[in-house]
Amino acid sequence: MAGHSSAAVAHAGNNPFLRAVAAISTVAGWCSAAMIVAAVAITCQMIFVRFVLNGSTVWQTEAVIYLVIAATLVGLPYVQRLRGHVNVDLVPLSLPPRARFFLALITLSLSILIVGIMLFYGFEYWHFAWDRGWRSDTVWGVRLWIPYLSLPVGFGLLLLQLIADLVAVITRVDRPFGLEDA
Amino acid sequence: TELRLSHQWSTSDVRHKVAEIVANEVAAADVDLEIKIFPSKSLFKPREQYKPLSRGQLDMTVFPLSYAGGQQPAYNLTLMPGLVKNHDHAARLNESPFMGKIEEIMAGDDVMVLVHGYLAGGFVGKDKCITAPEHVKGQQTRAAGKAFEQMLAGAGASIASMASSEIYNAMQTGVLTAANTSSSSFVSYRIYEQVKCYTPASDFALWFMYQPLLMNKSAYDGLNDAQKAALQAGAAKAEAFYLEEAKKQDAASADIFAENGVEIAQMSQEEFDAWRALAQETSYKAFIEQTPGGQELLDMALSVQ
Amino acid sequence: MDPLLLGALVAFFTIFVLFSGVSVALGLLIVSAGFLIIFDGMRSLELMPEILFGKLDNFALLSIPMFIIMGASIASTRAGADLYEALERWLTRVPGGLVVSNLGACALFAAMSGSSPATCAAIGKMGIPEMRKRGYPDGVAAGSIAAGGTLGILIPPSVTMIVYGIATETSIGRLFLAGVIPGLLLVGLFMAWSLYSTWRSGDASVLSAGSYTWKERFEILPRVLPFLAIIVGVLYAMYGGIATPSETAAVGALMCLVIAMVIYKLWNPGDLWVVLRDSTKESVMILFIIAAAGVFSYMLSSLFITQAIAEWIGTLDVNRWVLMGAVNIFLLIAGFFLPPVAVILMAAPILLPIITTAGFDPIWFAVVLTINMEIGLISPPVGLNLYVINGIAPDISLKTILKGSLPFVGCMVVAIILLCIFPGLATWLPDAVMGPTR
Ligand code: NA
Ligand code: NA
Repeated sequence: MAGHSSAAVAHAGNNPFLRAVAAISTVAGWCSAAMIVAAVAITCQMIFVRFVLNGSTVWQTEAVIYLVIAATLVGLPYVQRLRGHVNVDLVPLSLPPRARFFLALITLSLSILIVGIMLFYGFEYWHFAWDRGWRSDTVWGVRLWIPYLSLPVGFGLLLLQLIADLVAVITRVDRPFGLEDA
Repeated sequence: TELRLSHQWSTSDVRHKVAEIVANEVAAADVDLEIKIFPSKSLFKPREQYKPLSRGQLDMTVFPLSYAGGQQPAYNLTLMPGLVKNHDHAARLNESPFMGKIEEIMAGDDVMVLVHGYLAGGFVGKDKCITAPEHVKGQQTRAAGKAFEQMLAGAGASIASMASSEIYNAMQTGVLTAANTSSSSFVSYRIYEQVKCYTPASDFALWFMYQPLLMNKSAYDGLNDAQKAALQAGAAKAEAFYLEEAKKQDAASADIFAENGVEIAQMSQEEFDAWRALAQETSYKAFIEQTPGGQELLDMALSVQ
Repeated sequence: MDPLLLGALVAFFTIFVLFSGVSVALGLLIVSAGFLIIFDGMRSLELMPEILFGKLDNFALLSIPMFIIMGASIASTRAGADLYEALERWLTRVPGGLVVSNLGACALFAAMSGSSPATCAAIGKMGIPEMRKRGYPDGVAAGSIAAGGTLGILIPPSVTMIVYGIATETSIGRLFLAGVIPGLLLVGLFMAWSLYSTWRSGDASVLSAGSYTWKERFEILPRVLPFLAIIVGVLYAMYGGIATPSETAAVGALMCLVIAMVIYKLWNPGDLWVVLRDSTKESVMILFIIAAAGVFSYMLSSLFITQAIAEWIGTLDVNRWVLMGAVNIFLLIAGFFLPPVAVILMAAPILLPIITTAGFDPIWFAVVLTINMEIGLISPPVGLNLYVINGIAPDISLKTILKGSLPFVGCMVVAIILLCIFPGLATWLPDAVMGPTR
């Protein structure tokens, strides 16, 4: 019984495509972690400005929100690679290897489909904001295409990692659901 | 036909009742039209209603128009300090060429107004009364709206941005010492438990926010004549109700604060003029810089007597 | 279609999809997309990324990665071991002092970490091997840490309380305070059970292991100081007018990182990266579920299912305690399969109106809900803490861990019953500190 922490990192083997995707996802993970650290730093700076200097804090709240959103979306492929997205693997565990293999194909294909939809409409939404020159309705007035960019980027990279996972299962580089054979 | 209306307020709020009047009138007219109301942001978050409205994914909303100021900078004029003097002035503004110009901009986003309406608000101070610009100097202040942040910063206040739902706790722990928002928010968040003094909107008030009932224009155009007529009849009735209730709310909020032992302060003519002079150098100036055709729009608004 | 029937259909397909082994967040998106396409048309599909982004567009969510970093950075040092060792040196004369010390250390660590797996890992890494070495039964060693770790989401700070606060617009500061006394109550119950079961196992050497001089006892005290500094610092920032609860998390994260680096010499970039990687992994996982659950609840609301269920329950004429019992059973079952945040986000919009109309306090309910979620953390099939223990002590079988945890589930049920009889256990402290509501 796995689900969260007992399954290992996705295997890439010697397949160059899988290795390239793994590398991209890892870089995305670094970016995600860096954005979380930046959010910590900016929040502390905001508290300092307000509490110690009694100054105005106009842009910090918004910047931190967008950083955490971007960290989440851009971090998706890396967490997928680490198999960090929780699932209920009661059924896959109880299935014989062949059925488990086909179930993995189905769930991965469905995941690819939904992430593809999110990527398509996420890109469209980003493009809409870019096209119309939308800004946030604050004094800072961020051009909204900048934070919205994390939608197509995050889902695009997640799509790539999911395709790699599917390829890995089909080519038997990785086991279905990352589960050890029973 | 079924129309979906979304708004952010509870079912006891005046803005829900405005939506309800329109929905009930339309239902009573029996023209095969039903308005389904999604209150309390049960469908969309408050600031995220304009985009689906303009793209036809939502049919109607009761919406503070300045929330969409990032998409149409002209809308920022609908929450500008000192632009509206009182509720009757607001009603005249709704009929003016200025509002015609704003509605023209809305039409470009496929949006139209069914019910006009303004609501007012005031200031609270944790330790002292806020009536004049010099009172906010050095205070940690939460302001409702970009133009107010600019004006208050110009008066020497420190601006802290946070959701209105966080005002209560921030006041309690002392993170905030002053705040400005609508009369109804002050009451619904029970801010009277945390402050010493309240300056409600009365003879002179700075904070007026335009919060109309909007509809997607294509959705409206797709209705038949009987349906349009029923909708307009309901809207007219709702608009009259909205104006009456808006006037009552300011006094009612002052009563509630007074009942809870909060001091009630009044802004004088001189103080109002001082704020407005300050706004001209801060928020008005920034608005003109950031909005194409901003000066012309502002002049149109200011010319309404 | 009748919204209630539609709701049943959604429930069926959600269970069906989630059991296929697809990740919880993507599963929620798949179900939402399917129902939106069929019952709302393709137009709604366009909205999904926008709604997903909008759900994350909330400053309070910042505190989730922050409270996770707090726990993870300290967990990667020997601070957890110091903590339980100090407690052990002082409690050595208490029968079963070691297990009591470990549970106490879990409770103290929970006051710094917002998540349960982190609490479990921090104390368990040293605590479990030590307990086994001294002859405690495997089940008690593993079960007590698995259960003690669940305190991470009850004793403040707590990620689930933050999510509940956001979903129901309840004061997060108040929710945090509400968890304190029930948390201490649970620690007491856990300790009582551990002592009883160790005593029953009848190994005398276990009960009086180790003896320390007063010098050794005082020597270790300075090593507990960083903990106290962090806890006091966070409490002062939160309730002393420096920062809002969401902002406080960043202060805590910074303090923990600095203390881990300066006092515990965690400045090797590799080690630091492990802390950041683990925090990022857990945060992204939780935040993505929050975002996807947001899309799911948009679907429920858009199809009028949420509203219909609330109305339907309103028309039922049942005793409020029968209702509360039903709600608890529902939460328990959901908690068996889903991580706490997913349960809270999906259930809160439907349950809260029911709870408040039946006259229950939303703050009190948050505590009951959290204890339900704690049970889920140490029960199969998705019991995150069980896997953490399994990772620390691979040679203890999951079955043994599970059997060892089971009595602690009993303690949690007792706590829920006590809370129902004495609601003041949850509501007294927030009222005393922050003034009564309404
Ligand atoms: Na905690
Ligand atoms: Na479980």
